[in-house]
Amino acid sequence: MTAIALEVTHIAKQFGGLVALRDVSFRVREGEVMGLIGPNGAGKSTLFEIVSGNLTPSSGRVAFFGRDCTGDPAHLRRRAGLCRTFQKVRLFESMTVAENIAVSARQCVKPGLDWRVEVDAILRRLRLEPQADRMPAEITLADRKKVEIGRAVAGFCRVLMLDESLSGLTHEEAEEMIGEILALNHDTGITVIVVEHVLSVLAAMVKRLVVLNNATVIADGTPNEIAHDPVVIAAYLGTKASVLR
Amino acid sequence: MTAGATPEGTTERQAPLRGSFLYGVVAVALAAGLPFLPFANDYIIAVAVRMLIFIALGQAWNIVAGIGGLLSLGHGVFLGLGCYAAGILFNEYAVPPWLGIWAGGVLSVAVALVMGAMTLRMRGVFFALATIAVSLALDQLARHYVDLTGGDNGLALRFLGNSLWFMQSRTPTPFLYAGLTFVIAYYWITQWVLRTRLGSEMKAVRDDEAAAAAAGVAVFRTKLLGLLLSAVMTSFAGTLYMQSYQAIDPETAFGLSQAIQLQLPALIGGLGTSWGPIIGGTIMILLSESTNWGSTKLGIAGVDILVYGLLLLAVVMYAPKGIMGLFDRRTRGAWRP
Repeated sequence: MTAIALEVTHIAKQFGGLVALRDVSFRVREGEVMGLIGPNGAGKSTLFEIVSGNLTPSSGRVAFFGRDCTGDPAHLRRRAGLCRTFQKVRLFESMTVAENIAVSARQCVKPGLDWRVEVDAILRRLRLEPQADRMPAEITLADRKKVEIGRAVAGFCRVLMLDESLSGLTHEEAEEMIGEILALNHDTGITVIVVEHVLSVLAAMVKRLVVLNNATVIADGTPNEIAHDPVVIAAYLGTKASVLR
Repeated sequence: MTAGATPEGTTERQAPLRGSFLYGVVAVALAAGLPFLPFANDYIIAVAVRMLIFIALGQAWNIVAGIGGLLSLGHGVFLGLGCYAAGILFNEYAVPPWLGIWAGGVLSVAVALVMGAMTLRMRGVFFALATIAVSLALDQLARHYVDLTGGDNGLALRFLGNSLWFMQSRTPTPFLYAGLTFVIAYYWITQWVLRTRLGSEMKAVRDDEAAAAAAGVAVFRTKLLGLLLSAVMTSFAGTLYMQSYQAIDPETAFGLSQAIQLQLPALIGGLGTSWGPIIGGTIMILLSESTNWGSTKLGIAGVDILVYGLLLLAVVMYAPKGIMGLFDRRTRGAWRP
């Protein structure tokens, strides 16, 4: 039986009087590719920040492979293998593509392994070798997103959280990116959590969806189950439900 | 698979370094040979000493601000601590500056730790404001404890004659070699920082703190380490400043104009680069001496300050990455040689 990679239990977050998350709970199994969807303001980004360690929840618990990491800072979660990308790509603009990946490879590579080997392996896997010496400003958005994924998984990664990694890409670029992400999942067993607005893309990627609405989880199931869930249809999907079927 | 990979990923790589080494040898030979040149006199050597001291101070500031991205506007704090600690220990207890320099370093580490612990977890301008606040506070302390610091009049070292043990000399030549040693050592430290994991972490934090944390970098620790290293380097160069000038006063140690002068070498030459402060410091002092000479001839005081201001304005407008930034594309090497 596969392990529980990530367990979010009764997470709540308030900003003053604003309730951003209310009693959010779900589990992600090791090796799973899970989607997290919801309308703007549903609390996806807040949840993402809490799980990655940039925000502290008002209450609740985040466990990573059974270990409570609610109080751990972001860098320790990353070193433990809880990795993320950003909604708006955030690369180190003064460093080359290879150097960007090298930053996390140097931090997170397992003892005894050479971080340079890891950087080369990531560049090769993501087909970024021709861009290795280029600056982030000199490459396409699709490649920038790939570099961010490379930096996220370099060294040691067990769970990869992708925040709208497909937004802004052309259909072909999105297809390629999905291929890269699924290959990562297939080849390395990395658990993937995808926050995405493009439902048709998610349907092609994930076997399970968690739907957030109005600061709480309103549904959890396969894309087909979600597409037929009257609560989800009423709250979020509407006519878009057909893309998940 | 990685046979061709360069050992370190930095902005300054192998091929440019070979060129840098050659330039470095020429620069060191020029500085070291200065006293033997026919036109050399004490004034010219004293100017060279001032240049080397400000290059060293600029190199120290470059660590925290250029590589680490922390805008320390009151870095004179650490210069002042290096000056006053060595000076007071020497005047009051006859402690040689070889030991006093360490006292200044320890004090600087303590002050940097307190400043860092209070401000480095916050984002925004808090750190910059804290450095100004601490420099204002130390300025007042230095003026208040007259018996120890000489108050407004400043602290003058007791002169015991030429002595290596007490780092004193009637001529500036020994300080030329001391200054050169500092600049070479600080260049090496900058190179070391840029090539190591610490440098990679500092640059990542400088570029984007949240992304750095998401890459596994301990942001607070990295910022604190950069500040501590820079503080110690500034303090050590401060002791050299004290021994060379034999006197310090609160305005010179903690004043705003001094703090700006510490920043100019790196700003003019190129933030975050190992050659930037060297080039910038050289230009700054040559310009300062020329304008001093010009203002004396013209009888107009303060021309040098005006020129500094205009120079900084020109750098910000036309070369925001400093002189080294103009050659950025050329100085950037390849991931593989």
